[in-house]
Amino acid sequence: MNLMDELRAARPAHLGDRPVDPRTRDAELARAMARPRPARRRRAAVKPVWGLGLAGAAAAATAVVVVVSGNGTVPTPRGPDGGRPVAVSPSTAPPTRLRLSARDVLLAAAEKADRRSEDSGDYWHTASVTRAVFEAARGGYRVMTHERSEMWTPAAVGGEQWGRDQSLGARPATEEDREAWERAGSPGRIEVTVPGKRLRMTLTTSPGKARTSHSPLVDGDKVFWLGRNVTMKDLLGLPDDPGELKRWLLRSYDGHDTESSSVPMGSDAWLFRVGAGLITDMPVTPRVRGAAFRMLAGLKTVKVIENVGDGEGRQGTAVAVEEHVKGSGVLEHRLILDEATGQALGDQSVVVRPGGRRPGFEPGTVISSTALLEAGWTDAKPS
Amino acid sequence: MVTDDAHRFTGMYDECRQRVWAYVVSRAGRQVADEVVSETFAIAWRRLDDVPEHALPWLLGVARNVLRDSVRAEARREALAAELRCWTEGDVADEVTERMGLLRALAALPEDDREILVLVAWHGLSPKEAARVVGCSSAAYRVRLHRARKRLKQAMAGSPPGAPAVGPRRGEPAQPSLPHVRNLSEEWS
Repeated sequence: MNLMDELRAARPAHLGDRPVDPRTRDAELARAMARPRPARRRRAAVKPVWGLGLAGAAAAATAVVVVVSGNGTVPTPRGPDGGRPVAVSPSTAPPTRLRLSARDVLLAAAEKADRRSEDSGDYWHTASVTRAVFEAARGGYRVMTHERSEMWTPAAVGGEQWGRDQSLGARPATEEDREAWERAGSPGRIEVTVPGKRLRMTLTTSPGKARTSHSPLVDGDKVFWLGRNVTMKDLLGLPDDPGELKRWLLRSYDGHDTESSSVPMGSDAWLFRVGAGLITDMPVTPRVRGAAFRMLAGLKTVKVIENVGDGEGRQGTAVAVEEHVKGSGVLEHRLILDEATGQALGDQSVVVRPGGRRPGFEPGTVISSTALLEAGWTDAKPS
Repeated sequence: MVTDDAHRFTGMYDECRQRVWAYVVSRAGRQVADEVVSETFAIAWRRLDDVPEHALPWLLGVARNVLRDSVRAEARREALAAELRCWTEGDVADEVTERMGLLRALAALPEDDREILVLVAWHGLSPKEAARVVGCSSAAYRVRLHRARKRLKQAMAGSPPGAPAVGPRRGEPAQPSLPHVRNLSEEWS
């Protein structure tokens, strides 16, 4: 027998192909899939940097536009989660729909964004909390996951991008859900259904460990994705004129989705997604951020909704686009802005017409959201 | 899309989980294996779009990086020593003595050699796939595999562990610095 065959035959039995222990399987699948999937959106470095904390950006269930502000200032200094047990739609007044003032809102925000001062530092740092709603397998209630995500992107070429993710735990989504959860015995581990899938996953109500990871920049210098991979230098050199910025971005537009070349996507929707990412996540100058606002304002399909609450209990005005999903469902992706400061507060995806894989979610349900907590330059990174 | 993703991910998990676990155990022992496996699949879920159809080599590459980045070398050494002892203890039936000799020799090899051999022999990778896991060219991998086999043979022939036969190696093909999985996935996508 040849040596490699002998070696093959000598494999210790416990390293052979034994079935996975079902409990381990459940726990590992649940842990993996409880985390949001950023890959669908690729708002950051495109070939997502492995192990990096981009996760918080996306909701597990849907492709969303994430939004962050970012000017070296902290929009609302509060705890990672604000301690709110219930946060689906914290606005007190019902959202009001307007049809015509998208431009005005964005232009007002653009002016504020223009006036913000520039800071500098070794790392561009963002922190956000992403929420997503799931249906408990038993007990007739919904739970919301909370994931805190931070990212540090180096200003210098050849550096490393750092990420930190932490699950803040799952909680009943609304007060009503809380009551149903309590009737079910207030379980700390909650089995939930995954939309459109027989598989169940288990969420826990207690926070998880923070996980820090890092990796070298793609090609040594690519920091974010903006229709294509871009360097810090590219970002700082973006045109600050809305028309030029639009042309610059559209050079990377091929008529399809940002995440999949087989899914067609109109140029407005594409620009909204890419532009929102630029506004919220990326280290661009205030003038460029203002130009991106104005560029979005020029899109015909963008509409405006006032008095929209974000997951942190803040209120703002949202610009929104609709997305038609399978099963004649319609989702609305909102980018929420604080008109007073010109900052983006976050994003959310809301059911407009139930359908697809979440037929049970009523119109108005916020199925996922991301709230920006911090965005700015810093010299510190995790170690 | 969630359905498809969840479906694909679960299928991949069922197909590869035990192989990833076995790889991690063979490199770092059982204590840390579940944690590393769990993290590996969490990363795979996040990056599902980057995972190639034939997922195992990609997953092993991720597990390798997780191991390197998150498990202290010291903790790893102890757990691995326990694991290697377990390969060669407890089973004394006559028909397995040859097998024991082989496993003992394998356990005595330098870690790199052992990994090179085991990726191909136990985890069923082709040398080309294994090369991607450890981040070298296929040609370099074949050379290293050849040398590792030679050293395994010598070790089986009775050289005491630590003797020159398994000792320092010279003239290895230059290796790129440890690659990050990202590079692998780019190559594959």
